Amino acid sequence: MDNTNWQDAGAVDGLPEDDVACVEIQGREIALYTVGTAVFATDNICTHGHARLCDGFLEGHEIECPLHQGRFDVRDGKALCAPLTENVRSYPVRIEAGRVLVRMDSLDSINS
Amino acid sequence: MHERPTVFPDKAEWTAGGTSRIPFLAYTDDVLYRQELERFFYKNHWCYVGLEAEIPNPGDFKRTVVGERSVIMVRDTHGEIHVVENVCAHRGVSFCRERHGNRKEFVCPYHQWSYALNGDLQGVPFRRGVKQDGKVLGGMPADFNVREHGLTRLNVAQRGGVVFASFDPCMESFEDFLGPTILSYFDRQFDGRKLTLLGYNRQRVPGNWKLMQENIKDPYHPGLLHTWFVTFGLWRADNKSELKMDAHHRHAAMISTRGNERKQSEVSQVGSFKSSMQLEDPRFLDIVPEPWWGGPTAVMTTIFPSVILQQQVNSVSTRHIQPAGHGCFDFVWTHFGYEDDSEEMTQRRLRQANLFGPAGFVSADDGEVIELSQRGFEQKPFHRTVVELGGRDIADTDHMVTETLIRGMYDYWRTVMEA
Repeated sequence: MDNTNWQDAGAVDGLPEDDVACVEIQGREIALYTVGTAVFATDNICTHGHARLCDGFLEGHEIECPLHQGRFDVRDGKALCAPLTENVRSYPVRIEAGRVLVRMDSLDSINS
Repeated sequence: MHERPTVFPDKAEWTAGGTSRIPFLAYTDDVLYRQELERFFYKNHWCYVGLEAEIPNPGDFKRTVVGERSVIMVRDTHGEIHVVENVCAHRGVSFCRERHGNRKEFVCPYHQWSYALNGDLQGVPFRRGVKQDGKVLGGMPADFNVREHGLTRLNVAQRGGVVFASFDPCMESFEDFLGPTILSYFDRQFDGRKLTLLGYNRQRVPGNWKLMQENIKDPYHPGLLHTWFVTFGLWRADNKSELKMDAHHRHAAMISTRGNERKQSEVSQVGSFKSSMQLEDPRFLDIVPEPWWGGPTAVMTTIFPSVILQQQVNSVSTRHIQPAGHGCFDFVWTHFGYEDDSEEMTQRRLRQANLFGPAGFVSADDGEVIELSQRGFEQKPFHRTVVELGGRDIADTDHMVTETLIRGMYDYWRTVMEA
């Protein structure tokens, strides 16, 4: 049985080019990143200083937090440098018929 | 004609030529005091900051001072110890208020500048500005370099589990700073065994910081001031003693060995205060000789300017002198033991520590006489003390009826202060 939970996060045309935007899905703030034609999604709140990553600066596949310049890889949420000590949660994304779909399963089922 | 001294002289006079008469102004003058901070605490000297055992784990820190400057001794994620100044590089906030703790980083509360444990600046909020309506507003200039805005890092020296630091980047080695004689007594007490932390005493003493150094360079007051010592046989004027200094006369060791258990009345040259008094709990003086003593039962080492190393029978501690203005200092005692101590020995060290600290059977007296000395100095700043016991010269001795170590310390003081 397919228990995956794909949620519509809006039109892909609505996203800024090579930048970051924030959407709310099921009560959770999600940052969406466009890198060329690819779209990635992570939690929007930094794991370090509780800042919003959508206020940060996207360079290639790296998002720099506006508060303390910690950087995450937007593809997998990996923390890349100090002061970060914890990865940010990332979500699978798929584009279908011009819509951005984000898979919002529980963390366990995403990782399995 | 009667002599009418000027009560408030402009400058300290050393009337006897040498250092056997110390002008009261040396304890009361703010200009001299600031010069002392500059020349003794901030330049050319290693100052005590703590024990490695106080920060055993990565991220552990202890806030303390070098002179009057607040610093943090911290162990980084690799286990290395750093000492950084507790002043944010941004707006000068003394950001750390806890005495001890564990952190992944230091963050100033004012604007959240964040620093790695080694003092490197990591993050500056809104460094690249704020995004609004497709534009980026504000932020630091493009040439702002985080590498230029870390916390001030001190030079660090570690030996035998003890940590010293200096703001001075051009320091001689800690070993050269102590000199071979004092180093041998340092190594006797810190012989490579891991230290264990037993606890702290803290007190604020309303007196000049040098008076505490002098107190431990004055081996003949214990029998006169500390009647507890005499009453219970811990001090006698005929104890075998030696006084030794480094080549600069700035550091010293008072080494003494308790005599045999002769009856006190047969040998004492100092009247005992009620020889019939008994301790309610005799375990305070349950003394067990330890192999590392190598003979002496008490060695008190003064490391100028910042610390006193204590071994008084089984009680071992560091006593950190933290000046706070010309007429005040904080005195912080760190009681410790060794990794191979039995539980019984740990209890013994803790019980014997009751002699010391602000309410100790012995040390309470010192805090009080230092306060009273300072009162005398403040009311009569044109006057001077007399430290001529044992003569007016400066030399190591094999007895304790002398003030030679105090004269030695002021010989060094004059060399540095009058340079």
